Parts: sequence; structure tokens; C-alpha cells
Amino acid sequence: MPPTNGEGVVSARDRIAHSTIQGIRARLVTVCLGSVALALGAIVLAPLAGSTSISLAHAFDLTRPWASNVDAQIFFVARLPRVLAAALVGSALAASGVVFQALLRNPLATPFTLGISSGAALGAMLVLTIGGAFAATTWAAVPAASFAGALAAVSIVYALAAARQRGFSTSVLLLAGVTLNSFFSALILMLQYFADMASVMQTLRWLLGDLDVASYTPIVVALPMLVVAITAFLVLAPRLNLLSVSIDAAAMRGVDVVSTQRISFLSASLATGAAVSIGGPIGFVGIIVPHLVRLIVGPDHRLALPASLGFGAAFLVACDLVGRTVIAPLELPVGIVTAVIGGPFFLWLLVKHAQ
Amino acid sequence: MLNRRIGTRTILAALVIGLTLGLSLQAQTKPSRIISLVPGATEMLFAIGAGPRVVAVSSYDKEPPEVTSLPRVGALIDPDVERILSLKPDLIVVYGSQHDLAQQLGRAGIPHFSYVHGGLPDIFRTIRELAARTGDIEQGERVVKGIEATLADVSKRVAGRPRPKTMIVFGREPGSLRNVYASGGYGFLHDALAIAGGDDVFGDVKRESVQASTELMLTRAPEVIVELRADDESAPDRAAWQTLASVPAVRNNRIVLLTGSDMVTAGPRIGQATVRLAKALHPEAF
Amino acid sequence: MSIDVGPGTFVGVLGPNGSGKSTLLKLLGRLLTPDAGTVTLDGRPLGAWPRQAVARRVAMVPQETHPAFDYTVLDLVLMGRYPHLGALAIEGPSDLAIARDALRATGMSAFESRLFSTLSGGEKQRVVIAGALAQQADVLLLDEPTASLDPGHQLEIAALLVELNRTRALGLLLSTHDLNLAASVCHDLVMLSEGMVIGTGPTGDVLTGANIERLYGIRADVRFHPEAGHLTVVPLRHLS
Repeated sequence: MPPTNGEGVVSARDRIAHSTIQGIRARLVTVCLGSVALALGAIVLAPLAGSTSISLAHAFDLTRPWASNVDAQIFFVARLPRVLAAALVGSALAASGVVFQALLRNPLATPFTLGISSGAALGAMLVLTIGGAFAATTWAAVPAASFAGALAAVSIVYALAAARQRGFSTSVLLLAGVTLNSFFSALILMLQYFADMASVMQTLRWLLGDLDVASYTPIVVALPMLVVAITAFLVLAPRLNLLSVSIDAAAMRGVDVVSTQRISFLSASLATGAAVSIGGPIGFVGIIVPHLVRLIVGPDHRLALPASLGFGAAFLVACDLVGRTVIAPLELPVGIVTAVIGGPFFLWLLVKHAQ
Repeated sequence: MLNRRIGTRTILAALVIGLTLGLSLQAQTKPSRIISLVPGATEMLFAIGAGPRVVAVSSYDKEPPEVTSLPRVGALIDPDVERILSLKPDLIVVYGSQHDLAQQLGRAGIPHFSYVHGGLPDIFRTIRELAARTGDIEQGERVVKGIEATLADVSKRVAGRPRPKTMIVFGREPGSLRNVYASGGYGFLHDALAIAGGDDVFGDVKRESVQASTELMLTRAPEVIVELRADDESAPDRAAWQTLASVPAVRNNRIVLLTGSDMVTAGPRIGQATVRLAKALHPEAF
Repeated sequence: MSIDVGPGTFVGVLGPNGSGKSTLLKLLGRLLTPDAGTVTLDGRPLGAWPRQAVARRVAMVPQETHPAFDYTVLDLVLMGRYPHLGALAIEGPSDLAIARDALRATGMSAFESRLFSTLSGGEKQRVVIAGALAQQADVLLLDEPTASLDPGHQLEIAALLVELNRTRALGLLLSTHDLNLAASVCHDLVMLSEGMVIGTGPTGDVLTGANIERLYGIRADVRFHPEAGHLTVVPLRHLS
């Protein structure tokens, strides 16, 4: 519960809620515009900073030949793709977090609760340890394998949850997901045990998250999937509101509960799978951002989802910026930055929730 | 009167006691059943002539060829203590970080030698210390002198030549430039590079390995990139480097692949590894 | 069985646990489909109606509502407007007005911006009822609406339901364990035991000691209470 004064009114939300009560449309527009502005601001500003100081004038100087323009290369090859990847991954994980929390009716759910990240990790690990010669032929080997792993996990969990005749059981979903997480993690540990040191280091590194894509291709490939998923989220938003209050009442109000649950699960899994394939399983974004966003704009999913997109993008771009500058020339993996922020935050959440 | 008391029996007893003591002392100074968990140390043992006395090696040992027939007892993470004890060793070479194992061995009364990773001087020191433990001091000296001679020769050949900025890469994600692991400004590879006539681009980072981001590689702009791999199986593709178009090594196609366990093992073959490095950097000097 | 819930009717469904009360409610609300027989709305089978059309006519008040997130009272009542919203599902000024009207009807206007989680049990139920009113349904199905409330709030909710039934001609069907609640507000009763109807009709006719005995296996005293103005039931002892 957010801090309240004696009457139980949340002042920050109250200001937004009350002042624009004449138009939920107005609130919607404000939140969407604000979200886009936040994301764009992060995307435009972040590439300007880094572990090296570069000359922007040189970087944008078209008269210099590309092959020798180090400033341009640093900006357009090292930094910009990285920032874009961070924005995509951050928004995907944050929005998926919101959707999973609504689906499971639990504010402590994360995009990784249902086994997607361990499936992706297993896929990546298989390539890194025994992929060998095949893997070396293409940049897409590890991302494709991790996406395939994520898909496998999603399919298993979905099949179990949808096996019920009367539709879709979120409790089976949760149990299956948690069990799958443990099982895949055990497989991963076993692979590591038998692999050589170099592969083990590679997978450990992958698990910590890395957004240094150095190419626009992964972004272009993932973009259609994310667009599909995010469109689904926005369409589902009003139904998620109703579902998160009471499943029976939602059904009584005309919501097709089973269909909503299925589409939510599949679209959020798609977004999460794509995000993890680009940057590895970056944790805590999927729980910190949804909570912060709800504190600011409220739990209405029609506002929380657009807001989480922008906020998630800006948040991860910022975390990546910290990771690549704070101990320069070395880098702190982005997953560590989010964990350092997220760990204490999560604990605080648990304490608040218990009250 | 005393002379008569110190009779045959007494002398015999003294002899027996003396021999036993002597033998056990000798057992302590010249181990005859050696186990090595460290590939680099295994190579050292064979180089200094203790090879015939090695009874088991680690799971990762491949050199020298004699080890292929020896039993395996695990390595850093998974030493097979039961197996080790059953082989009744009298000296075992362990990693410096394997404290628990060392304690266990101590309780079983087995002397151990802690192998500590470091730079080139540490390789020489380790060879000498190991030789002292196995009772092959002279051979140990010979091995060290041999390596030093090789290195001196390399230094002579590359002396006076311009030292290219070099990045040594020993790992990256297959097919791409994600998670590049490069040699940092500390350790035997860094030292070898210095002797081979190259300038380590990450010489200022006092760590054995550096995770090089795209930005870092573009900034440091190495003139030569040396990729090291332990074996042929995981040969990396060079096309991935094309994304770093402004790096001189990529522009001038000075990307060299060196495969072989000698390149990544801190052992007696570091001399020939340095020669290979030097040839890659200064082919005209050889 | 045959039950009719028309405008102004007030039906109580009584029965022990497992008798099928919740199932009956879910059938009427189209949350379940019947294996045998039909549920009709305005003469047409429920299954033939589009989902949202049913929602505009029939609303449900569950026993307890535990939102997963911290919604305000107004948020929750506005959600009752969902069946009436267009494709974008964004509320307009008229929806806001209807929601506020529903809050007024349940006496919760002052609580509009309060967080639902901070309300008392009775206040929460009133908000949920307001949400059902905002749906502008003709029929309200209530699943044990006073089960988790203290006596004060129970009377509160009972009075509210009577008023809604009277002033808005809503058809109300509530399931309950509370025999006195049923006696006080319901015009007609249905007694269910193990999925079978063992009695149906006006409260005065159905609420007898004999029927209670058959239903719950207890001896109870049923008499008219002059001050209360309705029948009261005093359970006496268990029958073996």
C-alpha cells in the first residue's frame, strides 16, 4: 500500500485523479504523451554519455569517411544500438510485468515467475556449451536458441494450464511455472558442471544481462514481436482492470475471462521471450517499474500500461548508462545494476505488502 | 663395560631405526606417487623429469601425450577425493583456491603443493618450487633456463621494432562480438605479449581478464587482434569483427588466430607460445 | 425447479453448504451452463444472448471482493460501466454521472476518492453493490452478501437492499445462511438441499420449523416478532 494520510487518500494520485476527473481521456492522453516523452528523452540523451568522451561534431560529420571516423562508430555502433536495445527490453519487461501481475492477481509476480527466463537461459547455455561450430556461424545463434528455450517453457506451462476443460487455470500456471523454473535451473547447473571453464564463464556472463548489441539487426528482428505484444496489452487493459478486481465479477460484466487470460499470458510471454533473447534475463525491471508506475498514475491498466512502457525504457537505459560508466573502462553488467537497485526495493515491497 | 652392553642387538636396532627414519625422510623429499589437478603443473612435472612418478592427472589434462593413459581425478570444482585417496599419493598439486581440499588432504597426511596463478615470473618460481618438492632441482633449473633463453631470443629479434597495440582475445560469444573476454594488464599472457614485442591495449587495467565492450574496443583501437583458442573445435569466425570498422586491426586485416593449449596454459611451453605471438606480431623478424 | 426473478421480486435461496446455492447463482449469472434445463432472460435462453447484453441486465455481488491492486472506490464503481462502454472502453461524463448516482444510492458518495482497501466490511459491500448498480442491471444476484459482516453492517446492507428493491424495482436474488436475514428482507424463498428444491414460495409459507428441520437437521423456533415486523428464527438444538 502506498503511503496515505489519515483519511486513506493518496495525495499524488489524488491530484491527478481529481483534477482531471472530467476526462479519463485527458488523463490517458497526458500519460501517453508523458510516457513517450520520457522514453524519447532517454534515447536521445543516453548516447551522448559513455566511458569515452567523443566529439559529437565529428560523429555527425558526414564528410568524414565512415571507416576511420571513430567518434561516429562509437556513437552509431557502440552506443545508439545499445540504448535502443535497452529501451525496447526495458519497456517490454516492464509492461509484461504489469500484465503478469494482473493475470496472476499478485503484485509480486514478475515476467520470470512462470519459467520463461530459465527456459531462455537453458537455450542459450546449450548453444554456449555444446553449440560449438554451428554456433560460430551466426550472430543469431544464442538469441535464437534463447528464444526457442523461452518458447519451450511457455508451451509447457500453457499446455498444463489450458488442459483444464473449463478454460485456463492461473493456479496451475503458477505451479507449473515455478516448477519449471526449478527444473530448468537444475539442468543449467548440470550443464555448467560438465562444461569447460570458458563456456561456464560465457553463460554466467549471459545470465547477468548484456545490452551491447553493436548492431541494429537484433532490434529490427525483435521489433515486430514487441509491437504485436504491446498492441495486445493495450487492447486488454480494461479487461485486466476488471479481472484484477474479481474474476467472477469480470465475467458477469461481459469479459471473456478465459480468452483474456490466454491472450495476456501469450502476449506477455512473447514480449518477455523477445526481451530476454536480446539482452539476457535482466531482472527486477519487471517488478520495480510496474510498482513505481502504479504509485504515480494509479493501478488502472489503461494508464499503467502506457506509463510502464515509457518508464521501463527510461529506467533500463539509465541502468545501462550507469553500468557502462561507473567503473570505466570496465563495465558493470546491467543485471547487477538493476539487482542492486531492485533487491532493496523488492524487500521494501514485501514489508509494505505484509502490513 | 659400556661397549659390551651395546651389543649386536642394539646396533641392529639402531640400524633399523636409522634406515626407517632415513627412508621416510627420503620419501618426504622425493615423492614417488604424484597427482596433479592443474594442467600447467602437470606439464611442469613432466618437463622436470618427474613424469614417470605422476600417477593421476586432472580431467582437463591433455599434454604431454603421456597423460592420456593416466587416470583422471577431477579438477578445480569437482576433485574426486575418494579416488585421490585410493591412489595413495605422496604429493598432490592443487589450486591455491582449493583450501577445503588442502585441509582434507592434510588430515589424511598427504602433502600438497598449492599452485598459484600469476605472471611470467610466477611460472618460473612455480617450476623451481615444484622441482624442489619433487627432488629435481637441477632439471627444474634447466627447464627455466631453457624458457628464459627462448624468451631472450624473442626479445632480441623484436628489439627496436615498433610495438603494435595488441588486443588478445580468449573468448567471445560464438558468431558475434558479444561478451568479448580480453587479456588485461596482468598475468602471463600480458607478460608474454610484452616480450613478443606488442603493446597491450588494456595494459592499464590491472586484471587478468577484461570484458571489452564495443565502445572500449573502438576507443582502444588495437592494431593487431590475436584470438586464442585452446583447440580447433571452437574456431571463431573472423567476419564478426567487421562491425568495428574503424579499428586498425580490422581495417588492415591484422586479425590472427592462434590455437593450441600452449597459448592458454601457464606452463613450460610459455616460451614457444611467446614465439608464436611474436611471429604473429612481427612475422618479418622470424 | 422453476424460479422467477422479475422486477421488484426479492428471492432468498437457503440451504446448507454444498447444497448448490453458489452453483445456482452462477447458472443465473451465466458463469456456468446448465446440464439440464434452461435459464432464460426475457424468455430467451441465456446462452443465446451476447455476453455483454446479459451483463447489462444481470449483475452479481460476490461474497467478498479482494482487488489485487489499490483501486479507489470510484475506480471500482466505474468498472460497472464496462458492459455499456464502446470498443475503447473509456468512460465518458454520463458514465461518471451514473457511477456517482450509484454511490449516492448506497450512501457512499463521500468515499469516492478513498482507497477501497481502507474501508470497513460494510462499506466495501456497499461499494460493490454500487458497482452492480452502475451496471444498470435489472436483476442483482448476491452471494451471501452479509456473511462476513458484523451485525451492525448486516442491518445496514439489509436496509439498503430493501430500499433498492423498493425504489428501483430491482429484482434481487440472494443466497444466505442467515435465516433471519432471509426472513427480514425476502418476499419469496427457495430451499435447496443437495441440489434439489425442497420448498419454494412466499417466505411466510416456506419458513417453517418443519422445513428448517428438513434443510439443516436442527430444531428451531419460528415466530413472528412484533417489533421486527417479520418472522424470526431461533435455532434450538441439533437433531441427531
